[in-house]
Amino acid sequence: MDKPSAITIKQLHKSYQESAQQQVIFNGVEMQVSRGEFIVLLGRSGSGKSTFLNLISGIDPPDSGKIIINGIDISALSERDRTLFRRHHIGIVFQAYNLIPTLTVAENLLLPLELIKRLTRKDRDNVAELLDKLKLSGRLNSYPDRLSGGEQQRVAIARALIHDPDVILADEPTGNLDLDTAGQVLELLDILIKKAGKTMIMATHSQEVIGQADRVFSIRNQSLHLE
Amino acid sequence: MNSLLQRSSRNFLWQHPWQLVLAILGIALGVAVVIAIDLALESSLNSFNQASKVYTGAATHRIIASDGGLNEKLYTQLRVKGVSHLSPLVTGYVKLAQADKDSFKVVGIDPFIEKSFQSGWQNGQKENVSPDLFTRLMTEPNTALLSEKTAQSLHIQLNGQLSLVTSRGQQSLTIIGFLPHTDAVSEQVLAKLIITDIATAQEVLDLFGKLSSIEIQLTNDAPKFEAAIRSMLPGNALLVSLDSQEHSLREMTKAFSINLKALGLLSLLVGMFLIYNTMTFLVMQRRHLIGSLRLLGVTRQQIFTLILSEAFLLALIGTLIGIVLGVLLGQGLLQLISGTINAIYFRIDTTALVITPFQLGKGMLLGMSVTFFAILLPAFEATRLSPVKVMARSQLESGSRRLIKVVGFSSGFLIIGGLAVAFFSGKSINLGLASIFLILFGFGLLTPMLTLCLMKLIECVFGRFLGVLGRLPVRMVSAEISRTGIAIAALMIAVSATIGMDLMIGSFRQTVAQWLHSSLPADLYVSLPGDKMGSDKFLFDQQLKDKIAQLEGVQMVSTALQTKLIAAGELTKTTVFELATKSKQSFIFKHSMDDSLWDRLENQPTLIVTEPYAYHHALQIGQKIDLKTNQGAQGFEVIGINADYSGDQGHLIMSRQIYQRYWPNLGYTGIGVYARAEADVQQLESRISQLLTTQQAVKSNQTIYKASMELFEQTFTITEALRWLSAAIAFVGVFSALMALQFERIRQLGILRSIGITSSQLSVLIISETGLMGLMAGLLAIPVGFIVAYVLIFVVYQRSFGWTMAFYFDAGTLFQGIVLAFIAALLAGVFPALKMAQTHPAEALRTE
Ligand SMILES: Nc1ncnc2c1ncn2[C@@H]1O[C@H](COP(=O)(O)OP(=O)(O)OP(=O)(O)O)[C@@H](O)[C@H]1O
Ligand SMILES: [Mg+2]
Repeated sequence: MDKPSAITIKQLHKSYQESAQQQVIFNGVEMQVSRGEFIVLLGRSGSGKSTFLNLISGIDPPDSGKIIINGIDISALSERDRTLFRRHHIGIVFQAYNLIPTLTVAENLLLPLELIKRLTRKDRDNVAELLDKLKLSGRLNSYPDRLSGGEQQRVAIARALIHDPDVILADEPTGNLDLDTAGQVLELLDILIKKAGKTMIMATHSQEVIGQADRVFSIRNQSLHLE
Repeated sequence: MNSLLQRSSRNFLWQHPWQLVLAILGIALGVAVVIAIDLALESSLNSFNQASKVYTGAATHRIIASDGGLNEKLYTQLRVKGVSHLSPLVTGYVKLAQADKDSFKVVGIDPFIEKSFQSGWQNGQKENVSPDLFTRLMTEPNTALLSEKTAQSLHIQLNGQLSLVTSRGQQSLTIIGFLPHTDAVSEQVLAKLIITDIATAQEVLDLFGKLSSIEIQLTNDAPKFEAAIRSMLPGNALLVSLDSQEHSLREMTKAFSINLKALGLLSLLVGMFLIYNTMTFLVMQRRHLIGSLRLLGVTRQQIFTLILSEAFLLALIGTLIGIVLGVLLGQGLLQLISGTINAIYFRIDTTALVITPFQLGKGMLLGMSVTFFAILLPAFEATRLSPVKVMARSQLESGSRRLIKVVGFSSGFLIIGGLAVAFFSGKSINLGLASIFLILFGFGLLTPMLTLCLMKLIECVFGRFLGVLGRLPVRMVSAEISRTGIAIAALMIAVSATIGMDLMIGSFRQTVAQWLHSSLPADLYVSLPGDKMGSDKFLFDQQLKDKIAQLEGVQMVSTALQTKLIAAGELTKTTVFELATKSKQSFIFKHSMDDSLWDRLENQPTLIVTEPYAYHHALQIGQKIDLKTNQGAQGFEVIGINADYSGDQGHLIMSRQIYQRYWPNLGYTGIGVYARAEADVQQLESRISQLLTTQQAVKSNQTIYKASMELFEQTFTITEALRWLSAAIAFVGVFSALMALQFERIRQLGILRSIGITSSQLSVLIISETGLMGLMAGLLAIPVGFIVAYVLIFVVYQRSFGWTMAFYFDAGTLFQGIVLAFIAALLAGVFPALKMAQTHPAEALRTE
């Protein structure tokens, strides 16, 4: 590996307790992701894609194993510290309902920034600029429910990037969109993330994305397989 | 199909036990309070009748007398004139020699009165008591009957001795038998009763030659007999039917009862918000389920029936629990209510909670109908849900916003209507209270709209400083207004009712305090109880008064006699004054007057009436009241109306000089002592107390003032208690709304967590939101509470009791109201906030 490692996963185990029964999702996963790499995750429904992303973002803690991001083992952190880590270093896009319905588009974008620093005039200008790029400049003060699904996803992507995180996690970001819209969204991801040299892991079924990926993994039999 | 439908919805209900429990609690508490008040009140009022069944059984009429009692010769006269079915009674109260025992009622009866009276104590005597019990009661002096339970608790065996304190020292009675309790007469009613024959009672109570009343059983020819009996009665005696007597007791306590019941309804009103909240939650949460069902071909009608049958089940369970709780609560309220009736209306000796199916049925009907009313809207909402597209919460919210505007504007009519009802409904107490409910409900409906406005305002003013995160609580309050609005409205109603009542009680307290200050002009007051019927009492009283007047340091004395006269066919409290010059200043007249008033009061057949009396009898100055005297009826002109808060029935005031022209001398019940300026009042007090017998007492005006104020506070204990109950229900309502709210936005909270908001930040967020809701409720409650107080003081209380009082504004009360609402909301928010903070973000994201 010539590039420095952004994410290192060692001996990752995760299972869920479903009433009396234990359901093993991951059994000793190993993975290395370099800085700036674009990883695509495949897998049947219920295979554990979302779970995997949740583990990396620290939303869900592993049963055992290490998840090292930027040299910090987040699996050793407390819940609170994981949250603070996520706040600074990770941006997340879900399949749908990403935005806070009670905040305007601009406010949704400002929220992650506000969590890490004091807002300035410049931040507001940046937000306006970013929305311009997304072709949403007119929707600055609209509430999310006034936006179409594709527009909402574009805002969600912008929000995942606004605070300049190191890692972007996207869980089927185009899953709810038609082909055209999905294309636009992916294009956006490409422009914003690849160009900025961000590391990204995306769970998807979309064929086009697979083509753009640096590496493609699929989840089978409780572990990751390089395609 | 149908059963599957029901099962799918029932499964859902079981997944939300919290909401289910809270809804049932809301119904149950509301119903419980209403039933408890009804039971306790009815039992207190009925106990009066219950007790008399023990010794009068089937009597229909009664000859009663004002002070001075009935001469026992009247009984013989009536018999001689052919009036049969008579039962003479001598009644009075004694204390047991044993320390700290309550007083007991002694009832002297004729053991051989006709069987037809079916008195309770006779009916119960069967094989277990020897037949010569009556004979023994009659022939052996100082024999008595007592309830078995009481005897046990006092450790008295059959033929044991019961020691009493009488005005002439201790006296023992031999207990020769026990009073049985029957279906009609419960154990508790008998608990404080001692039954003797007439002679023994007369001796114990110091009533030689007197009767307290004569019970009569009139059957067919009632009117004829009534007229005959009336013609034989002396001036102080009155023939009343027991029905009318009971009726007048109820009339007397009517205002009190209505006001109490209104407090119960307040709880139910607040409870209604709770039910409404839960039902909307249950419908909204199932919009997917309902949507899918509609897709499968389930009709609107069926959905409606489904929701309704669910509500029916909830209402049934809630109401049943409410009835059980109500009976328990009623037991607790019984003492409070009968104590208050005792203190301000008439003596209730013993009370037992009597539960009738009618009352339970009433409570049941009320609980069920209130629930149905509350769920009507959510049930219709459910049928409106589109089968094709499940509406997002925000879409539903925008729908409810429209509703909120419509409701908000139309609530104006309710409020204006309420105010109109308040001021243009004559003397009706019911309408006066109804107006308060209209006003409260109107403002409750207005609350969501006002909340939206205020949240906008907060954002405009503080938005810049708050930042995005700080704006979030404000936004959340308005975004989910259909939930938050309900919670705020319920809290607002409870708090404004509290503020209103506090302002009213405070104003009342001030008014009474001022009145007491001015109406206690003397330095010392001697009270002279002891039975007023005692034949030589007036002589001793006169001597005492003279002795006091001659004491060194006494400037002047005044006297008062509290008695009852028969005015317009009713026994009416009358105070007969011998006023000292200083005591005349103590009257607060409700009209302008000149000094000739006192002169007329002393020398002409004239009266002063108190404000409540004038109100209840619609009397004005110059009108005449007919009083029954030994020489026949005599008209007395009303020449003054004065403020008086000592009782809500009001009384008459007469000068002693005039009184003695028409009625016999009964001595005094009180002597007011005015000390000279230089005299040592404490010393005077101790010197006076040396002149007194054990039953007489001397007290300073300060002591009486304090005792009176304590009594005042005591009469409001029940109001306080009930108010807290409705506040508690409001609290549960807010809690349930907040729980529902958090549950509905769990996904949103998950997103916030994924952005990097910590769980403690989330708690702060939720708590700020609920604090904001509390603040909103508190702020709104101030003007509403103010209006409620105004209507209470100038409409409801004035109509209920005939009192006018001044409105005293108290900023502290308002402040307390805000704090109460704020803290209640915060407390209600703590649990949901913690629960949400603890919810795993991964779990939260999995929903929806
Ligand atoms: N909190 C949980 N408790 C129990 N089981 C869970 C929990 N979260 C996930 N699972 C289970 O773990 C498995 C993986 O779930 P996950 O959501 O990661 O799948 P996925 O690959 O994202 O599927 P999809 O493509 O449908 O989104 C599933 O079988 C799911 O039921
Ligand atoms: Mg998934």
